[in-house]
Amino acid sequence: MESVFHHVTPHIGFIYPNESELPWTQLIVIYPYITGLVAGAFVVSSLHHVFNIKSFAPVSRFALLTALCFMFFAPSPLLFHLGQPTRAFNAVITPHWTSAMAAFGYVAGFYLCLLILETWFAFRADIVAMSKDRPGFMGKIYGWLTLGSDDVTPKALAIDHKIARILSMIGIPAACGLHGYVGFVFGSLKTREWWSSDLMPVIFLLSAVGSGVGLLIVLYVIASKFRKTPIIDETMRGLLYVLFTAITVVMVIEGLELLEIFYKAREGVETVRELIMGPIWAGMSIQWAMSFFVLAVTSTLLLYNVHGEKLVKWLFAAGLAMMVGVLAMRWNVVIGGQELSKTMKGLLTYYPEVWGRESLSVVALISIMPYLTLWLATKLLPPWKDGEEYGFGALGSHKHT
Amino acid sequence: MPKHIVRLLIVIAAILTIAFSAKQLLIPDSFYQYGHYRGNAITEVASKLPKLQGSASCKECHKKEYEVWTAGIHRKATRNNEVQGVVYKYGPGCEVCHTGPAGNHPSKEAMALSVEDKVTSITHLKVKVHPANVPGRKLMLTPQEMRNVCLNCHEKLPGRPLEQKQIEITSHSGEEVCTNCHNPHSPRIVYASLPIGKRGDAKAGKAIADTCAGCHGEVGKSVSPEWPNLAGQHFDFLVDSLKSFKSGKRPNDTMAPMVEGLNEIDIRNVAAYFSKFSCGVSGGDKVMAALGKGKAENCKACHSAGGLYGSGSAGVSGNPSWPNLAGQNAEYLANTLKAYQDGSRIHPVMTSIAKTLSNDDIEHLAAYYANMKCK
Amino acid sequence: MTKQDKAIKSQEVPMSRRGFLGFLGKGAACTSALACTGAAVGSSLLSEPKRGFQQNEEQLAESINNPPKLEDYNWNDHSWAMGVDTDRCIGCLRCMEACKMENSVQMDAFHHRTWVERYTYLEGSNTAIVDSQADPKNIENAGSETRFRFDNRYKDVKVDKAFFVPKLCNQCEHPSCVQVCPTGATFKAKDGPVLIDTTYCIGCQYCVQACPYGARSFNEVRGVAEKCNWCYHRITKGLNPACVEVCPTGTRIFGDRNDPESPVSLFIKNNHVQVLKPEMGNAPNVFYKGTDKEVV
Repeated sequence: MESVFHHVTPHIGFIYPNESELPWTQLIVIYPYITGLVAGAFVVSSLHHVFNIKSFAPVSRFALLTALCFMFFAPSPLLFHLGQPTRAFNAVITPHWTSAMAAFGYVAGFYLCLLILETWFAFRADIVAMSKDRPGFMGKIYGWLTLGSDDVTPKALAIDHKIARILSMIGIPAACGLHGYVGFVFGSLKTREWWSSDLMPVIFLLSAVGSGVGLLIVLYVIASKFRKTPIIDETMRGLLYVLFTAITVVMVIEGLELLEIFYKAREGVETVRELIMGPIWAGMSIQWAMSFFVLAVTSTLLLYNVHGEKLVKWLFAAGLAMMVGVLAMRWNVVIGGQELSKTMKGLLTYYPEVWGRESLSVVALISIMPYLTLWLATKLLPPWKDGEEYGFGALGSHKHT
Repeated sequence: MPKHIVRLLIVIAAILTIAFSAKQLLIPDSFYQYGHYRGNAITEVASKLPKLQGSASCKECHKKEYEVWTAGIHRKATRNNEVQGVVYKYGPGCEVCHTGPAGNHPSKEAMALSVEDKVTSITHLKVKVHPANVPGRKLMLTPQEMRNVCLNCHEKLPGRPLEQKQIEITSHSGEEVCTNCHNPHSPRIVYASLPIGKRGDAKAGKAIADTCAGCHGEVGKSVSPEWPNLAGQHFDFLVDSLKSFKSGKRPNDTMAPMVEGLNEIDIRNVAAYFSKFSCGVSGGDKVMAALGKGKAENCKACHSAGGLYGSGSAGVSGNPSWPNLAGQNAEYLANTLKAYQDGSRIHPVMTSIAKTLSNDDIEHLAAYYANMKCK
Repeated sequence: MTKQDKAIKSQEVPMSRRGFLGFLGKGAACTSALACTGAAVGSSLLSEPKRGFQQNEEQLAESINNPPKLEDYNWNDHSWAMGVDTDRCIGCLRCMEACKMENSVQMDAFHHRTWVERYTYLEGSNTAIVDSQADPKNIENAGSETRFRFDNRYKDVKVDKAFFVPKLCNQCEHPSCVQVCPTGATFKAKDGPVLIDTTYCIGCQYCVQACPYGARSFNEVRGVAEKCNWCYHRITKGLNPACVEVCPTGTRIFGDRNDPESPVSLFIKNNHVQVLKPEMGNAPNVFYKGTDKEVV
């Protein structure tokens, strides 16, 4: 049988003919995942900048850089996905405000600018120092970044600190907006039973924070091991608290959503049941297994007041599990929702492509890039101060690295 | 304010100004005119040229076919021969069966296409196929292809409303093509209007009739008086009877297995074969026949060539769907009337009539008609 | 006269002339008040033009006074709607073929602007088995993805009830697809159809997700979304949509609701009609007669 297009999704039951190809594939799975990591990392950073929780001081600038690097790559899955990427700015030029998606251009743009500004304010002192120390071309670059001002008097630095704090405060609701709107894109759609829920924006936001914290834990441990610097116990404890809070709230709300679907038992609930038992069984198992693992580990670590090496090892595992679990959750929501046919009488099973425009290889590429960029960024703007009181350059004297 | 803040604010102001002016400049013409969309898009969408031209456009070059089509059943949207409700599109037009909008005909060139087709875009297709060039799209169909086209609408499918004429293809015509019997532009066949030669192939019917000869005789004169003579019987009535045996409408343990293997064409052929023979007179009791004459006045309306109005030959039915009775075996006629009476054979008219007859009436009528000459 | 009757009668107060005139006056006042309200409501429904979906006052005025320049066509005069009489549909799929040819739709089994579904109740079953012509067995039976035909898979089993239901875009009054389009590439025209501006669409496919009826699809070749638009290029020229034009049994009925004698107005008036998925709140403009509890 000749087929003009090769991408056909196998299905059982009855689906509308136009549903044979899933509109949103793995690219749309990693888009909320990446913005989630951004939001989570930013929340950790602002725990120090806004709430002055000292235990997060060692990672706050690193978290900020993480947020920034991941934010650069947040629009890329969307650009790969669009049918007409050259027209992508149409949504910015004439945004249709009844569409949650139109918010993307403005919210993401605003958030990126906010991150850039905050990073600049947080690193300005170092940038000024490096513009004087680094030779040649790099020195010139830093020079431009200083905007021609080498004012690092305590007064100026105090103003920097204050502005950075304000930006951080604005950043928290902005992060909620950035990630909440993605949840709204899914949750407001009355057509898809698996997505349509008032809880969806909240779920997305909270799991985003969880995944961001997990990312930060993983990166902090790896970076410290790589740099052969000690891992600060207090910081790990702080991250443990945040992770524990995140996972408990996330599990409660996700559980609530599932419960509501089955309790309300509206037309088609049998097909939803079959969806969970069938196409997304693996994904759901991973999501909930990881969630329970994180919950168990974090509660145990808290209960038994674990510190030191053990804390690092287990928290690292929990952080990794959190990242995997949240990715599985994104997959289950995005792909799972489309595997349930709008007829409620059919189920599709999606097999992702390996090569191509919307494929696993592109996903892998987009996933790796932020880490590489982050590594480069830590070389350009080192966030750590070795052997010094940690925190803003503004609050203490700094040494050149 | 520190120098760097001032400079930062200037940079931000510059960027914002550029961004917002760019946004304003880049808004397309006529956007927001009628709503949140480009007003010009309406005329662009509407200006595409229609491809389907309607059947009337075929008239000029294909006059004869068009006339036949206009007069035929394919042009009328009817159910039970009545126009139902408000229906204003009727039957398949030319472009339906001839699989293609006339917009692509007679020139092989595609017509000027729409704004959609002018859009240049990123294509990720394996094979690019233009609709007009899709293989298998021919405007004039071969008879074999035509059979598939006919079956598209006329194959018997559960779910099709019963008003739609549907057939099971192998039992209807075997391997024959539809156009051998049906004019595709006006496919309804009225047998009575066709000469006998056209209604069925008597030669082919002979081959089938060899099986029938065992009871009904080689030339339609049955070997036993309890079985009917078929010679010279109306073609239409023979076809109807065979079809009724086949569908079970007329239950008959002997005939049902006989017609099981016959399809529609076979039925017509064998009917044509028997109907071309001359009927004979089987003879009956003359005394009883005289008694039957009076009673037969009631039968004249249907079973006499003149019907109600004339004095045509008695026993030769005016309507070819009703059987000729003249010269038929008396025993068979009597059995038939008794069958109507006791309900083992059902007919809307004959059942009620038979109930008014006594046993003697039946014997007399049977004898009367058996004595009639059928010419 | 009983005591009761007397009691009742004694309670009757005879009306004085003044009282009567007063009564008349009040009645007149009430009636005229009612009449005025009624006229106000009625005229606001009939004479005052309705705002289109997501259209503000200025834009409404513009669309009335300065309609798009089409030859012999003013979109203010028309309000298109469609009817489907499923009792007539024979599932021949000529409508699909005509649509694909007329609108240059991709010639494969997965992009349809209109399609037909078959519902079959087997003997003893209370639920229908549903298939459409995009079902792989039907495609196999037809020979290729470019031919359209239902197969005869139920010929050897006992079927209680079966029927065909044609589907297409419902051109809703409150279209969810228009609501979610981030750029404004899809929109509701004043005369009814929901159109797509293919030079502006960015291909995000949010509208494809949002349609409750599965009427929209993504055209990979052009990188934009597409759907049935009731052959807008035909109806603005006084022709019928392609599917209506070719339907051999008169299943599809099309017309102008502004004209009470148009086929669709009479269809709606003379039949009990339904719409698909009314609980979605989209208020579709395709009216079905003869659908069944199982029709999705």
